[in-house]
Amino acid sequence: MAIKSGGFRRKSGAESEIPTASLADIAFLLLIFFMVTTVFRKEKKRTIEWVEANATEKIDEKRKNILHIWIERDGAVYINDVLTPFDQISEVVRPIYADNRELVVAVRGDRDVPYAQINTITEELQEAGAVRVTFATRLEQRAMRARR
Amino acid sequence: MPIMKRKQKVSDEIPTASLADIAFLLLIFFLTTTVFNEEKGLPIVLPEQSEEQDVSPKNLIFFIVQSDGRVIVRRGESEQEQTVSYNQVEGILRAELAQNPNLIAAIQTDPRAAYRHMVNVLDEVKLAGAERISLQELEN
Repeated sequence: MAIKSGGFRRKSGAESEIPTASLADIAFLLLIFFMVTTVFRKEKKRTIEWVEANATEKIDEKRKNILHIWIERDGAVYINDVLTPFDQISEVVRPIYADNRELVVAVRGDRDVPYAQINTITEELQEAGAVRVTFATRLEQRAMRARR
Repeated sequence: MPIMKRKQKVSDEIPTASLADIAFLLLIFFLTTTVFNEEKGLPIVLPEQSEEQDVSPKNLIFFIVQSDGRVIVRRGESEQEQTVSYNQVEGILRAELAQNPNLIAAIQTDPRAAYRHMVNVLDEVKLAGAERISLQELEN
């Protein structure tokens, strides 16, 4: 027999280890990428008590296309952190809508706000031409009522 | 001089083997702690300002939301009124829609009623599958 020592013991020239030296670079690159691309909304959170609804849907719209209108319990309206009187809402919204025709206005009203104020807001929005509106709600927490 | 020739045993390299672990750990930490605040709500498209449509009364059903949250149901043609609690609205509207798919659900809300009462009714109307919804403020 020509081969005495057997093929198994022959030392392979190929490296059997995975090169891990660049792994750290890859991971940091990913980390930095996500840090740089994350955009934080600057708007301050208002304290409102959310309304709840079973039919709550996810609004599939880019964040930049959504304008929040906050109505606090005392009737104070905030748009982009600015306290806005009711009769000036359309003037504030109109230029925003003119810049972005895809605009969706999310009305975030406190649950105890009288409807008259919500109605004023929808009328002002109609005047500004921003007709795509969502009433921001939370999914109802208590157990869904038995259907049928 | 033997001292000069002595070979140093301490490694002069920074150990980088665990650097990848640290970086991935940070990455995973930030990935899991990031919370996206989703936009959720009840979407509705308001009519254009000049847009006013004439609707045949037989295609209308009114849900009149009182200031205390009770709901008065009135079919467009008839003067008959029925006071219900808001969680009955879905069943009523579903039955009506089965008979007439073109039905418009008109929600008229008392200006003094709390926002949540109106949302409760709008919720029910949405659950019933109504496509045509009108929001109005109750006059008088």
